[in-house]
Amino acid sequence: MINNRKYDVIVIGAGPSGVSSAINCAKKGLKVLIVDLNSNSGGQIYRAPPKTYKSISKKLEENVIQNKLSDEIKKFKIETAYNHTVWQVSPGFKVNAFNETSTIQWQSKSLIIATGTYEKIIPFEGWTIPGVIGLAACTVILKAHHFIPSKKIVLAGNGPLLMLVAYYVIQFGGKVDAIIDTSSKIDWIKSTLSLITNPKNFRDGIKWIFKIFLKRIPFYSNSTVEKAFEVDGGINVKIRNLKNGKAKNIISETIAIGHGLIPSTDITRLLRAEHIYDEQKGGWIAKVDRFLRSSISGVYIAGDGAGISGALAATDKGLLASSALLYDEKFISQTEFDHNTYKILKKLDKYEVFAKAIFKLNSTPKKLIESINNGTVICRCEDITKSEILRAVDQGAKDINQIKSWTRLGMGPCQGRTCHYATSKIVAEYLNCEIDNLGYLTGRSPIRPVPLDRVLGDFDYEKITKVEAAPL
Amino acid sequence: MTETDVAIIGGGINGGSTGLELAKNGLNVTIIDKNFICRGASGVNAGTLTMHMTRAQLIPYAKKGWELWMNTSEWLSKEIDVEKKNGLCLAFTEDEEKLLIERSKIRKEYGADISIISIKEAQRIDPNINSSIKCAAFCEMDGYVSANQTGNAYSKALKENKVKILENYDVSKIDYHKNKYVIIFKNGEKLTASSIILATGVNLEKTLKLLEINIKIKCLPQQLIVSERMPKIMDTVITVANGKLSLKQFKNGTVLIGGGWPGIGNVEDNYTETKPENLIGNMMLACHAIPRLKSSRVARVWLGLEAETDDAMPIIGEIPNYENAYIIGSIHSGYTSGPYMGKLLAEKILGKDIDLSLFDIKRFL
Ligand SMILES: Cc1cc2nc3c(=O)[nH]c(=O)nc-3n(C[C@H](O)[C@H](O)[C@H](O)COP(=O)(O)OP(=O)(O)OC[C@H]3O[C@@H](n4cnc5c(N)ncnc54)[C@H](O)[C@@H]3O)c2cc1C
Repeated sequence: MINNRKYDVIVIGAGPSGVSSAINCAKKGLKVLIVDLNSNSGGQIYRAPPKTYKSISKKLEENVIQNKLSDEIKKFKIETAYNHTVWQVSPGFKVNAFNETSTIQWQSKSLIIATGTYEKIIPFEGWTIPGVIGLAACTVILKAHHFIPSKKIVLAGNGPLLMLVAYYVIQFGGKVDAIIDTSSKIDWIKSTLSLITNPKNFRDGIKWIFKIFLKRIPFYSNSTVEKAFEVDGGINVKIRNLKNGKAKNIISETIAIGHGLIPSTDITRLLRAEHIYDEQKGGWIAKVDRFLRSSISGVYIAGDGAGISGALAATDKGLLASSALLYDEKFISQTEFDHNTYKILKKLDKYEVFAKAIFKLNSTPKKLIESINNGTVICRCEDITKSEILRAVDQGAKDINQIKSWTRLGMGPCQGRTCHYATSKIVAEYLNCEIDNLGYLTGRSPIRPVPLDRVLGDFDYEKITKVEAAPL
Repeated sequence: MTETDVAIIGGGINGGSTGLELAKNGLNVTIIDKNFICRGASGVNAGTLTMHMTRAQLIPYAKKGWELWMNTSEWLSKEIDVEKKNGLCLAFTEDEEKLLIERSKIRKEYGADISIISIKEAQRIDPNINSSIKCAAFCEMDGYVSANQTGNAYSKALKENKVKILENYDVSKIDYHKNKYVIIFKNGEKLTASSIILATGVNLEKTLKLLEINIKIKCLPQQLIVSERMPKIMDTVITVANGKLSLKQFKNGTVLIGGGWPGIGNVEDNYTETKPENLIGNMMLACHAIPRLKSSRVARVWLGLEAETDDAMPIIGEIPNYENAYIIGSIHSGYTSGPYMGKLLAEKILGKDIDLSLFDIKRFL
């Protein structure tokens, strides 16, 4: 393990907020390292196509923005560690990561965590069969790789991603068999006023909806995928209307489903920072002050990790978090800090209106949680079903960590990223209590599975650290 | 103010086992835990039930404990997975071979049915082990428990036997007068008891202070590593000559790597943190023992705090100068022997003639 590099600040995550905070710090002369598991900057939203894709001719707008980000990083001589997956962060701060061949440890005085969000999927019976993918994952395939997952596809879940994915699928020559949305048409109309506050995104939205309308794609409002199973020639998708209970079956090849995004809290939970539950901001989030300082001195949260507010706000949140850092470390004066942050805070307030509207479209209806069958697998790493979770609760498990230890839920390679939200919802619903009372899963290293051959490399037995023998 | 015959402070394997046995004999028992039942060492330990790592003097107790673990459905609950496995302890160098032969001989003298076997025999027992070993020690009395289920199993059994459980009750003061104990909790509530048992694991030093007794209890933060689920890659519990590896594959396919490699942690704020260099060392040793493990990925690392006295031997028995006050804890391989140690202490409290002089707290006073 190499252990030599020291930085003033390490930024984890090279999405728009990570990049803007890194640049802000580099401009003031700080020694900055930016780390990301992807092969380039851009994050999820402006994801770069793999380097081997030399011939992506029709560049999407997102790809162009991505190029700008990576030019800026070069300009300000920020050190980068792409293709590096962070697996452990400890106080002090020590950041451990691995890449294709080895592991590495860096140290820094401060940390900016800009690890964004991951996809929220409310489980249904059959969501673990081949051919079911995440809606956000589908956008990655479309935007970075310019592929469609299959010729025919069903899109399900909620929020604007449904429209965006439908648009790109059509654009790339695929057929959308149905859009299944847990929201109602009225929810969409109600949100229009707020969405208009962000004209650019609003215009995009209109463009997507227009295309969907032209193609006459069957649209199921107030509905969900209740069950999916493999049949000859594809997947049988059972659609259930959550309001009137009517069911319908259709056959397609792929289901892309997603119910919004969840802030990533792996690192802050690992560092034992304080967290709070805020449904409107995406669930459990790191507790921060107005300037995005976490409860741990020296740790700042840029981007969506302390509450979802979207791509436009991300850059500003990066500036805000890094301004707080620069001020705390005495690189800028109080006046400069006040001046910089005043404008940013105002802008962020404006984005908040838009973010709230999006949240409404992505909210998780009670009926959706109730519609999950008892036999449905909730924790897919360990195959734990809804009824096993409820059984542990019946036996007296009082919080999510007790459910974890009694059932193994959340103990697998994803460490609960996929099942945490749904489990909290299911149990809170069952016990008729607030999710806060159930707590959150204790953060455990490694935050991403670590391939043993990669961290260990080839070694001789003699080289293994010697520890004192146990007493006889 | 509520009253109870026996108040047990600390609901780990030791407090739980003692309480269960007392309740089965008709006593009115209350178990108090500042967290939930078995969320301390007893819920997060490796669950290895091996003689190869047990301190020689504790072998007779570990054997009894092992037997209890093998029939939990009779005295505890069906809610816990226990597997009997063969145990192989490996030596990779000539020095280790010497150490293994010597240590196995002493353990055998204390009653462990351990024999030294050749490479060939070891490979017949488990073909997955590294073929470059010098020799191995073999013991049929081995196996493991899924320790994460301990809390569920004990809560259920304790409730069925009418033990009262107070969870999230942190003891802040113990008053003693007229042969009665008044336990005062942080939340202001009180409990009166005729008898108390201290079983607070790594917190024993602090709890003993409430009775104005000062002894040193070390806190050992220990790391455990678990792999993602894998096809079957081993069929035994693997340990090594110096006792610094325990390795086994659970039924669900995950492989657990332990052995007491230290991490960072302290009792005061129940803080733990991994030490990457020690994770690496522990993983290397595991992959050296079972080479196919190297194709796996680590899914999770966690730590637990283990209590150890200055002579690394348990403290079990009466607390001097107090009537009906007892202590149990700091037991090496304490998960293995916990159920039996608890039973012994309960029998002593119930008036049976049990010799616990080996574990007397007086040796530290
Ligand atoms: C990582 C690790 C791996 C291990 N692996 C093995 C193994 O493979 N095999 C084996 O045999 N042994 C193993 N051990 C040892 C074994 O786990 C312990 O010896 C045993 O669990 C100790 O049980 P206990 O009841 O004494 O303590 P604990 O289980 O720690 O219980 C003490 C309880 O007291 C409570 N408490 C503390 N203070 C207060 C207070 N003031 N008021 C109320 N409650 C309080 C705590 O919340 C806790 O629940 C391992 C230990 C660790 C840490």
